[in-house]
Amino acid sequence: MSEVITDIRPLAAVLVSALAVALIVASYRYPNVREGWSVLAALSKFGIVLSMLPGVMAGTVYEWSFVEATGYEFVAGIDFSLRADPLGMLFALLASFLWIFTSFYATGYMRGLNEHGQTRFFASFAASLSTAMGIAFAGNLVTIFIFYELLSLVTYPLVAHNEDDEARIAGRKYLFYTFFGGGVFLLAGTVLVYWLTAGVGEATVAFETGGIEALAEAAATDPLAASIGFFLLAAGFGVKAAVMPLHSWLADAMVAPTPVSGLLHAVAVVKSGAFGVARVILDTFGPELTGELGVNVPLAALAAFTLVAASVIALRKDHLKRRLAYSTTAQLSYIVLGLSMLHPIALVGALLHIPAHAFGKLTLFFCAGAVHVETHTDYVSEMAGIGKRMPLTMGAFALGAASMAGIPLLAGFVSKFYLLIGGLEAGLSIFALALIVSGILNIAYLWPVVYTAFFETEERHDAKPLLEYPVGGQRESYFDDDHAHAVTDGGHEGDDHEPAYAVDMHPSDHTDEDHDAHDDHHHGGAPPGGWKRTPIREESTWLMLMPIAVIVTGAVLLGIVPDLAVFLDLAVYIVEGVTGEAVL
Amino acid sequence: MSSPTALELLPALLVIVPILGATLPLALGLRYDDVGWACATAVCGIVFALALPVTNAVYGVGERVQVIHNLGGFDQPVGIALVADELSTIVVLLIAAVSLATLAYTRHGGPRGNTFYSGYLLLVGGLMGISLTGDVFNLFVFLEITGIATYGLIAKSDGAEAAVAALKYLIIGTVGASLYLVGVGFVFLATGTLNMIDLATAIPEAGYDDPLVRMAFAFMFVGFAIKVAQWPLHTWQPDAYQHAPDGVTPMIAALVSTVSAYALARVIFGVYTVEFVATTPYLQEIVVTVGSVSVVAGSLLAVIQVDVKRMLAFSSVSQFGLIVAAYGLLTETALVGALVHLVGHGIMKAGLFVCAGIVAAGYGARKVDEYAGLFAHRPAVASATAVLGIALIGIPPSVGFIGKWYIAVGSVEAELWPVAAVIFLSTMLTLGYVARLLEKMFFTHATGAPASHAVATDGGEGVLVGTLDEADPVSLGMIGLAVGAAVLAVALGFAGGTFNELFDPFVSEVFS
Amino acid sequence: MIDTLTPVATPVLAGLADVTFAPALVETFLTRYAYATVFVLLSIGLYMMIASPNLVKKVIGMNLFQTAVFLFFVATAYVEGGGSPVVPTEATPGELAVASPLPHVIVLTAIVVGISLTAVGLALIIRIYTEYGTMNEETLREVRIDE
Repeated sequence: MSEVITDIRPLAAVLVSALAVALIVASYRYPNVREGWSVLAALSKFGIVLSMLPGVMAGTVYEWSFVEATGYEFVAGIDFSLRADPLGMLFALLASFLWIFTSFYATGYMRGLNEHGQTRFFASFAASLSTAMGIAFAGNLVTIFIFYELLSLVTYPLVAHNEDDEARIAGRKYLFYTFFGGGVFLLAGTVLVYWLTAGVGEATVAFETGGIEALAEAAATDPLAASIGFFLLAAGFGVKAAVMPLHSWLADAMVAPTPVSGLLHAVAVVKSGAFGVARVILDTFGPELTGELGVNVPLAALAAFTLVAASVIALRKDHLKRRLAYSTTAQLSYIVLGLSMLHPIALVGALLHIPAHAFGKLTLFFCAGAVHVETHTDYVSEMAGIGKRMPLTMGAFALGAASMAGIPLLAGFVSKFYLLIGGLEAGLSIFALALIVSGILNIAYLWPVVYTAFFETEERHDAKPLLEYPVGGQRESYFDDDHAHAVTDGGHEGDDHEPAYAVDMHPSDHTDEDHDAHDDHHHGGAPPGGWKRTPIREESTWLMLMPIAVIVTGAVLLGIVPDLAVFLDLAVYIVEGVTGEAVL
Repeated sequence: MSSPTALELLPALLVIVPILGATLPLALGLRYDDVGWACATAVCGIVFALALPVTNAVYGVGERVQVIHNLGGFDQPVGIALVADELSTIVVLLIAAVSLATLAYTRHGGPRGNTFYSGYLLLVGGLMGISLTGDVFNLFVFLEITGIATYGLIAKSDGAEAAVAALKYLIIGTVGASLYLVGVGFVFLATGTLNMIDLATAIPEAGYDDPLVRMAFAFMFVGFAIKVAQWPLHTWQPDAYQHAPDGVTPMIAALVSTVSAYALARVIFGVYTVEFVATTPYLQEIVVTVGSVSVVAGSLLAVIQVDVKRMLAFSSVSQFGLIVAAYGLLTETALVGALVHLVGHGIMKAGLFVCAGIVAAGYGARKVDEYAGLFAHRPAVASATAVLGIALIGIPPSVGFIGKWYIAVGSVEAELWPVAAVIFLSTMLTLGYVARLLEKMFFTHATGAPASHAVATDGGEGVLVGTLDEADPVSLGMIGLAVGAAVLAVALGFAGGTFNELFDPFVSEVFS
Repeated sequence: MIDTLTPVATPVLAGLADVTFAPALVETFLTRYAYATVFVLLSIGLYMMIASPNLVKKVIGMNLFQTAVFLFFVATAYVEGGGSPVVPTEATPGELAVASPLPHVIVLTAIVVGISLTAVGLALIIRIYTEYGTMNEETLREVRIDE
């Protein structure tokens, strides 16, 4: 059913933002021109991707191959190829669409904070999108490896952006984790696949819908090597997908500016990991072989553990972006879990969760960033009553949070519904249970934010995070002089309520850095006299409010009319292609 | 005894022209003052021009032939032959290109003086000789010519530190070469011939288990391990690289060890055979262990270095470890990888040392900590350093990745899993020292005002001498060289298939 | 040429291959004393290079080391009862016994190389001495650390 056409558009989609990098750097003297390039590149990238959509939905695969174009092989026996197939389109469409609004938002955010190094920031940002597009369209394991490594590289400047010790340490950790994933695990896995397929004929690492045939053949004779190859690849992509125990870079990477945390560390970078897992399961090993080898079960178990454990950790985070980071860790594991359950409906759910989570989480990050720019508030414990100051932002946050939690009529519900059905149909009820538990925890860690913003006041609110205080909460107020210091040291109260257990005093997951960092932000929290009630049009700049509004609308639309939004169709289409049977 | 064709004359000219040319700066220097650079450029230009037709004949689009020159018209195996085949020609091209390009640095960056350029040309001649010779004793002579030229060039630096480093290198290097010579003696005893092609058939006749043959290999291998700077025989290298003049280090780092590693490949695969290494008990294990240990030890030592040039020197220990380990894997893919990495590492390391030289001249920084904020002051050089460092890690698309890919595939094909693990982990080890530089250059603010001109540390000679005092100590040519190396390192990253095709005739013959 | 060389190699080959029991070892030392000298010289040279703190003595050690190698080559060329390799015009090919000329040529070349190396090494030492005022490695190390 798929017809392969040589077309330069996949390459163009990758190169357009690479070109933008050059233009951004060249026009560093003129900020408006510079940001203009970003927006222009985002629009043209989306346009290019969109122009391929009808063809792809009609069964065409657009391919650009280095060897055909130039006559040179990238390395012996392996081509450098970019192909736009349905799975690639899903990711490319999502990333390029969201980049448009993130460009506006990033402009507003960076200017709002008067950040340094904006040229480097926007250049790296464009480069990240370029490589993310390369990951989406990569036609074989080597090509995806190239872009995966490049993505690690170009996002490093964004993580280390602040140029202080915290950022540098986070950057080091980021490099260490991602290169261990890419340069060691992924490369080793790729080489292993190459070697295995060479054993049964022509060596290949090119993706094939439903799995590489030669690999299936080789796996029949050497299942152990094939299993090791699978785990290496899964670990390689699992680093970026933040599957435990490879997740800890993600929370630290939150020192980056919020647009980075939003688009890259909730969508492009981390999803490239999840997407990579999808490529491995669907197009390299194929669901059938994966099931036969039985390698999906350990992966699913890890993912299930991650999505519960990360949610629990999120409960204890006072720093909003860190809380969201752990939420991302959990949500990414939904995707990995859905993929590794191998049931067609679960696969649809997993693939659909890629855009669903993207829209929801991007909303949350954008809101957190807007709050940061406007009020310099980063901690949940300082947000009591902030709904008055930023009504639209916190309203959008509420919707995004609801979508995360899987409340019906929002994006998160549709994907989670399919995941749940898939899990039950596949007879893996323990994983379905984990999904439900995590859903409840989702509400538990996101609802307090909404609650404190709208339903609590500066004078009277519960100390956050709730889990660290006695059952029933503890009342406190920003204006009570006795508790004044509570605002500055992260919500920890005086000596009366010292936690009884050592583990509570020094919780491993609630590190000191939360509070160390906190000291740098004395100016956070409600101003003296409480939050000022602000009308919507004045709460922030349109550069930030417009993207928030658009993205949250997207999250709602995905939830109400999933059929209209193209992502469900794409997901179903992909799974049908892989399994060869009708789904839904 | 037929008179050679014009093409067959070229290998001889490639060796003779630079050696004879080495007298020019001295002779003309009697009359004119600053003639060295012009002489060297002219001679290196000629050498490069001579290398092109050879390259074309060996790798060109048409019929590919090996270019062989029998010195003095004596046929092999009696006479000494100079052979440009698929293996040596790429090294010849590398030598010709790097030696010509490095002149772009020394013109402005020093060192100066006619004697320097005489040594420089002598080095080129020696390196050419090592690459082209088809005779194991002749190889020793060229090894020593190269060595003498290198010792002299290193000592050309201002400080007496350089003389100490050069003397250390001289003594250790001579031991290495002498051990090789002992190996030559043994193999001559066992077979009665010194011609490489002849030896390839004579050694199996003498028997692979002949103690003389084995002893000869052992001596040669240890000799080369010293010359290539494999751990723990590497101790001369960090001192030599650190104290050599900045204009010389790129040349030495890119070529001297590289050519020794090439000669090792020639001995392992051309003189001895794959079968010898495979059948001799523990030999393969020893070779891969030496390489693997060097990879790990070199990188770990590099990470803890304070001085940038010293750090890069330890990086060379590690990268050549990768190459030696690849030799020991004994698969076609790994050998291709080793050869690609030989060339690729030469380009990358030359570029990195050029960058280090520019930074020392223009920014006054020699230590890793002093690189803080470099990007803000010298964006072009900082970017070039970053790209070259990243290429060295093996992040695609870059020539570093191509080499690593083939070596990695080879290690898996050989099913030597511990070696494969070392090769994959070497990415992280390399990242360890490259990331330090990246972080300093891009994400750390400079503390205190760095000297904008070179302080009178060693190697700064050229900057402070002559009429160029007021001018920027960094010329456009120097920056162009650094950027050019970076671009080349990336561009060659797309030529993986081509490399394989070029080396294929040699590699498949070795493994047939 | 090869044919004339092979017999040269064989006795040595046999001599080394038979080193399996003590009497043979003793015999080897008695008949192959040249080789024993080679290894003694080699060892002394290596030891001097490593152990002597005096830079000049290191270079002397290096020379000794090289001389051992030269001796090794010359010893291999020796043929029982052979004269110098000057071939008389009316020689009978089967009866002529001369020492192999090739190792001698090799040694000549190597001597030249060795002398050049010594020259360079001594030049370096002069430079070190004028700069630091010492040729002692230990002192040198201390001076350099102080700097």
